[in-house]
Amino acid sequence: MINNTDQTLSFNLPKNSAWLLWGCQLVNISSLAAELSTWMLAILALCLCWQALLLSRQKASNVSPNVGSAIKLDAVRMSPFILMLLAISGCIAIAVSARSFGVLIAMVHLLTFAYALKAFEIKKRKDFYQHSLLGVFLLACALIFKQDLGFSLFILLLLVINLTLIHQAFAKRNSLFNASKTVVILLLQSSLLAITLFVVFPRLSPFWQVPMANSAKTGLSDVVSPGDIANLALSSELAFRANFKGESIPAYSTLYWRAMTLENYDGRKWTRANNNEQGQHNTKAKQQGFNPTTSGTAISYQVIAQPSFQPWLFALSVATTTDPKLVLKQDYTIQSTTIVNQLKHYQIKSYPDAPLALSLSQQSRQRNLAIKPGSNPKLEQLAVDLKAKHPNSLALSQAILATFREQKYYYTLQAPMLINNSLDQFYFDTKAGFCVHYASSFTYLMRAAGVPARVVTGYLGGEYNDESNDASSEDNSSQGGHLSIYQYDAHAWSEIWLEGTGWYRVDPTAAVDPERVSKGWSSALLAQQSELNSDFISLYRIKQLAWLNTLRLKLDAINYQWTRWVLGYSAKQQYDILKRWFGQSMPWKTAAIIAMALMLAMALFTLFYWLSGAKNSKHKVSPAQAVYNQCLTALAKKGFTKERHQTTQQFSLVIHEQLPHLSADFTELTSVFECLHYQQYSEQEQLALMAQLAKKVRDVTKALKSVSAMSHDMKKVSSITNNKKYKNPQQ
Amino acid sequence: MAANSFKAFFHHRFDTWLKRRVPSRSHHQLSRQNIFIMPTKFGFAYLLFVFLLFLLATNYQNNIIMLMSYLLASFFISVMMHSFYNFSGLGFQSTAKHSGFAKQTINVPVTIIATKQHFDLTLSFAKQPKQLKQSKQSKQQQQKIYLEQCHAGNTEVVLPYMAKQRGTVNIGRIKIASEYSFGLFVAWAVLDFSHQITVYPQPKKINANQYRLAGQDSQNANSTNYANQSAGLDDFSELKNYVLGESRARIAWKQFARGQGRYTKHYQSQQGSLPWLKLSEMPSANLESQLSYLCYLVLEYSHSEQRFGLDLTVNGSSSASDVDKKFAPNVGFVHQNACLTALANFKQRARES
Repeated sequence: MINNTDQTLSFNLPKNSAWLLWGCQLVNISSLAAELSTWMLAILALCLCWQALLLSRQKASNVSPNVGSAIKLDAVRMSPFILMLLAISGCIAIAVSARSFGVLIAMVHLLTFAYALKAFEIKKRKDFYQHSLLGVFLLACALIFKQDLGFSLFILLLLVINLTLIHQAFAKRNSLFNASKTVVILLLQSSLLAITLFVVFPRLSPFWQVPMANSAKTGLSDVVSPGDIANLALSSELAFRANFKGESIPAYSTLYWRAMTLENYDGRKWTRANNNEQGQHNTKAKQQGFNPTTSGTAISYQVIAQPSFQPWLFALSVATTTDPKLVLKQDYTIQSTTIVNQLKHYQIKSYPDAPLALSLSQQSRQRNLAIKPGSNPKLEQLAVDLKAKHPNSLALSQAILATFREQKYYYTLQAPMLINNSLDQFYFDTKAGFCVHYASSFTYLMRAAGVPARVVTGYLGGEYNDESNDASSEDNSSQGGHLSIYQYDAHAWSEIWLEGTGWYRVDPTAAVDPERVSKGWSSALLAQQSELNSDFISLYRIKQLAWLNTLRLKLDAINYQWTRWVLGYSAKQQYDILKRWFGQSMPWKTAAIIAMALMLAMALFTLFYWLSGAKNSKHKVSPAQAVYNQCLTALAKKGFTKERHQTTQQFSLVIHEQLPHLSADFTELTSVFECLHYQQYSEQEQLALMAQLAKKVRDVTKALKSVSAMSHDMKKVSSITNNKKYKNPQQ
Repeated sequence: MAANSFKAFFHHRFDTWLKRRVPSRSHHQLSRQNIFIMPTKFGFAYLLFVFLLFLLATNYQNNIIMLMSYLLASFFISVMMHSFYNFSGLGFQSTAKHSGFAKQTINVPVTIIATKQHFDLTLSFAKQPKQLKQSKQSKQQQQKIYLEQCHAGNTEVVLPYMAKQRGTVNIGRIKIASEYSFGLFVAWAVLDFSHQITVYPQPKKINANQYRLAGQDSQNANSTNYANQSAGLDDFSELKNYVLGESRARIAWKQFARGQGRYTKHYQSQQGSLPWLKLSEMPSANLESQLSYLCYLVLEYSHSEQRFGLDLTVNGSSSASDVDKKFAPNVGFVHQNACLTALANFKQRARES
């Protein structure tokens, strides 16, 4: 316990702390595991295994036998030459693959590699400090990629583990449980100041450009062929959420979230028209922006889009926004100025009754009428026939829809493959497909019949989650919850241009599977999806169990609140809140609030320590003493009090004379107590002795019951005879 | 040169302030009065790290990382309070005067009185002895005592002090430091117990050939006494009645067994007339060696319970200040201590004038 060494020369850790260091590395690296490539993970696993091997082979060193088994961490050291070789080869490997990863991921690789290798080199205490700080930095980096509530709590837990490790270096005898308890209490005490700072401390804009995460794109793509969206629909990932802020949510069948319009068809696939129009837009309209003409009632809502690493954003038709980071396109879609690589919150005001593009430019008309002649001859012929029968464009479209409705067309995820993506084959032969098949063939038919038409992709509908309903919404009819739109809500539909109406939405799916448009997926479809996708527990099964579904909705609601309030707490929001609370002179009041929170935190801390100190002062006796005192009180009740001046040995002699049938037990009790009280023992021995002491006390108290209380005089006599005995100790 | 004087001035000012704030006592209780707390190097590195996290959060506009950096910043404050409260409340007690021999480790015991559990305590001497700085033999500049854990109750620790030279040394304050928890802050206190160590000269064994012992105060004494190498209680002189309290080893058991009563044996050793240990008679030319020889002789004589006197006058002429340089023949522990102290504090007359 007391040793005379200079601590900074060599760094020792007790055995369980060394294993904690190893475990810490394991969990820190695992938090980033999703971002690392497989070969890097293999290398890290190798490093960890090597360390574990070296640790388990290390026998207890002779440094300080009192501390259990202390391990000199140089046991985990490799020869510096091998380490250098490994480091250099690792760096080269990372540099080579940096191009394919992107800068950010390459940096993350480098960090984790350095972290794993550093553990081999911990000689002094400052190495240990550097290693711990690097570990915490890794945790922070993990939060760049994922920020939902569950993951954040996981990272918090890992932070506690990391801090416990640092703590253990200073309180080596402490058990892990006590150390982590101390850390958790300290974190709780610091949470008050942390939350105040979070709310009040001014939010700054980025200082410099940093490499962004560059993951694979998810969600809708701007190249669509039949069957694409059916693939996308197998995913149950969240695409975005929408909050109507207490206003009534529009009906499901009107929730067509537009993402992009696909106007170019080359016979096989639909692509966006991004050349001429956008070029014009960029040069001329960059300063002005596209201002759609609006009319009718407006709906305001907030959308929180999940990172998709693409620029598309989602809004109900004729959307307007005041957000400078959004771009309104000529085709009434919205895009973000930068790629959506983080959660994006934006505010939209939509006018669902406003018409889209009452006038159509010649260029646009040409593009929207272009079909590749000869790609689907049968459909072309049918279009000519239909046009002859129904000269009115709207009636024509109704006729096509009627065909879909009345004939045996199937809406299924498992559509048979089309040769060359031939729409003819779909329309006349297979007659089974998903939304793209129907929208594609409908658009083709309309174009062939001379009506400008285009395919629009986006999402349809959304799951209403009432669990996140704020209690503050007084209006009963208003729905305070939010809508969650998942990838399986992805949809493709068609728009035809009518004179006087502009672009008019026609959804062929409504004719084939009306339930899809009015309520969402039918159970048959869900069942199909659960068979096809690789989810562990399919959504279909979850939706069947009411309680499980409620649980899922509740979790989703919590996640939503987390996303909205914590992750979405932007500078603007902060400004609004502070202005509301403080009004004028914000900087001074902000500073005052922070200072107050600091002092309050310190005051609470002091209070906490006073209370725990008061608690401590009551427990001045050791547990062994407490047990012994119990026995003494039991004896005192029977009339045998131990005088203050008597030692334990003397008292046991008294008992030996007065209560001979107790004496054996009591003498043993006394000796065990003395051992415990005056000698140092290890934890196990202490426990064993305490158990023995407790048992003896029980025996003595049991035997005492048979003894009647001695009278007062007898007690006096006995004490006098005792005193006489101890006059001549030498006899 | 200027830097040195500036440093000296600064130290002087600091010392006067320290003397007022933490005066010397035999029992110190740590409280807000005498605890200093500062972040360590790791503490500053930690703050830099938190700032780095803040930068990361701002650049990525990531609220959760920002929350984490705020949490770690306020954690820093919490750890400061935690370190302070781990340290405060400790009591320290130590006696002021200690003694020992030169070139030996002198132990200065300090008692720690704790009411609760304290962690990670390091005790050392605050002043670096100037001699140690020059020596390159020992890697460690200072011996530090490290306590991992201090339970409630009294704990005694011993601070070793390596005394190089004889004399009376004020070893200054004792520095107690703690880096619990997390190593972010170091809380320390420099306590003054007015420790004073009297270092006696290192006893050097004297060779029999070199030595002549003057038998008497007069000049022409030439006794045949040799240095007594072994404690001699040689000759049996008489039996006396047993007095209660006398050592049992002295009891004449034969007589007791025969039933003749209890007697104790008394011995006599051959002694010449009262010997004087004189500084001027020590064989060496070096003053320190002479004192060392004297020290050895004082110890030997005291150990064998012989009477001796000590004469530290240089020229043999008496003067007013000779009163503390001549010790009348006596025996006993107090006499031994007085002689040793005189040896320790002996200053050559030439130096004084």
